[in-house]
Amino acid sequence: MIPAVAGVGLRFAHHRAVLDERPAAAWFEVHAENYMGGGRPLACLEAIRRDYPVALHGVALSLGSAEGLDARHLRRLAALADRIDAALVSEHLAWTASGGTHFPDLLPLPLTEESLGVVCRNVEHAQQVLGRRLALENPSSYLRYRHSTIPECKFMAAVTARTGGGILCDVNNIYVSACNHGFDASAYLRALPAPAIAEFHLAGHRLRKFEDGRSIRIDDHGSRVAPEVWALYAEAVALFGPRPTLIEWDTDVPPLAVLLDEAARAERILREERAVARAA
Amino acid sequence: MPALLELQRAFAGALLREYERDIWAHIAPEGFSAPERLRIYRNTCRATLVETLRMTYPAVARLVGREFFEHAAGKFVARYPARSGYLNDYGGEFADFLAGLEPARELAYLPDVARFEWALSVAANAPDAPSLDPAALAVADAERLRFAPHPSVRLLELAHPADEIADAVLAGDDAAMRGIDLASGPLHLVVHRGAEGLETERLEPHAYEFVLMLCGGETLGRLLEVAPKLAPELLAAQLSKGRLSGFKVTG
Repeated sequence: MIPAVAGVGLRFAHHRAVLDERPAAAWFEVHAENYMGGGRPLACLEAIRRDYPVALHGVALSLGSAEGLDARHLRRLAALADRIDAALVSEHLAWTASGGTHFPDLLPLPLTEESLGVVCRNVEHAQQVLGRRLALENPSSYLRYRHSTIPECKFMAAVTARTGGGILCDVNNIYVSACNHGFDASAYLRALPAPAIAEFHLAGHRLRKFEDGRSIRIDDHGSRVAPEVWALYAEAVALFGPRPTLIEWDTDVPPLAVLLDEAARAERILREERAVARAA
Repeated sequence: MPALLELQRAFAGALLREYERDIWAHIAPEGFSAPERLRIYRNTCRATLVETLRMTYPAVARLVGREFFEHAAGKFVARYPARSGYLNDYGGEFADFLAGLEPARELAYLPDVARFEWALSVAANAPDAPSLDPAALAVADAERLRFAPHPSVRLLELAHPADEIADAVLAGDDAAMRGIDLASGPLHLVVHRGAEGLETERLEPHAYEFVLMLCGGETLGRLLEVAPKLAPELLAAQLSKGRLSGFKVTG
């Protein structure tokens, strides 16, 4: 089990530093797809796993595919989860494959009753093969469909209610999507069922400005967490209580110390909430 | 309202072929047009696959320079979509693609460097497997033994000294690069992942033929028939390098 403290997303660039220096990180999360082969990456992960809890975060299972899941990919994920005894396994509310082509991005789903049925079926299938509960992450999105009928927060809550899966509440993604689509991020949080929240994600994003004055927020995991996202995170922690919290960084990955510094900041917010809870 | 299956096919079509417009009508405009919104996703997909190629083919990228690599990789990505979410499997056709790319023709050795780097990548990411313990063979009927290679083993016959070229360019060693005899081929290589990591060895043609047969599952009886003098030594070398993972006894 991952403790309700702040951890760090582990990338290849930091394998050596983690193995040599054994930094005071509480836990690590890795992208499952980076460890589905053998050799050095997997050996490093196994060595790190001996000293730290490790969560697996999938990016290519395509839980939103109307075609169902890629059995081979699911088997690989299950084998890896067993091999490193993953303390938590998560994936996204998105689709990444169609007609035998894989798209390496989290593509948006129309939020309809049909999609809800598809996602629930796929989550149940995945949980059955994994033999574990799966946490579903809300993605950042850059478009909405005209025929969507269910707000994303309610969609997430419904998947949890039907499948027994958890929610990976990505606070940065809520903020990014709220800005891009003009919904209320705080109201989104309030619509999520507290007991289902298995983990928080925090990351940086960038504001892409166009010459004509329009702008859109892009979830690039390439900078420190934005002040507005820290504020929303504090709100989420107050609402749901302390949960495992992960700092993600994927573009222009900085030294491990920067990630640990961000994790320490999240940890201060978690600590304050624990103090408040004790006092109450 | 389109069914999800159709909608995803139309979206996929728009990501693969910019002129496909079936998805546009289903996307809410909200300040950005459907093509502008789709471009964000298309660009991320393209950038991720180009970056995957850059990680797999660092020597090719150095040889052709940043700008040309972007151009070539971009063209490749447009023609070869990913077939799986496991991106270590992506990009195996890049060598043949480069061979057919007109502006790359003057670097005749480029496709061979790509073939070499692909072999290294496959070897690096191949599943873990045990090394065969020679002691296990004592019990078996030697004539009918067939060996299974370690999953990382790759055999390459190349027209150019791609291993030397890749080493020199990645080390930034211009003098070594100038000293390479590009006409020294053909070259026979075996690449595998041993206990100490990736290993590349140049083989004599007859040894290469032997290892090819050995890894192809030929019986030990046949191998001894083909190379009666050299077989014991060559077999021992492959065993000690950890290039064999198992064996079975068949007719």
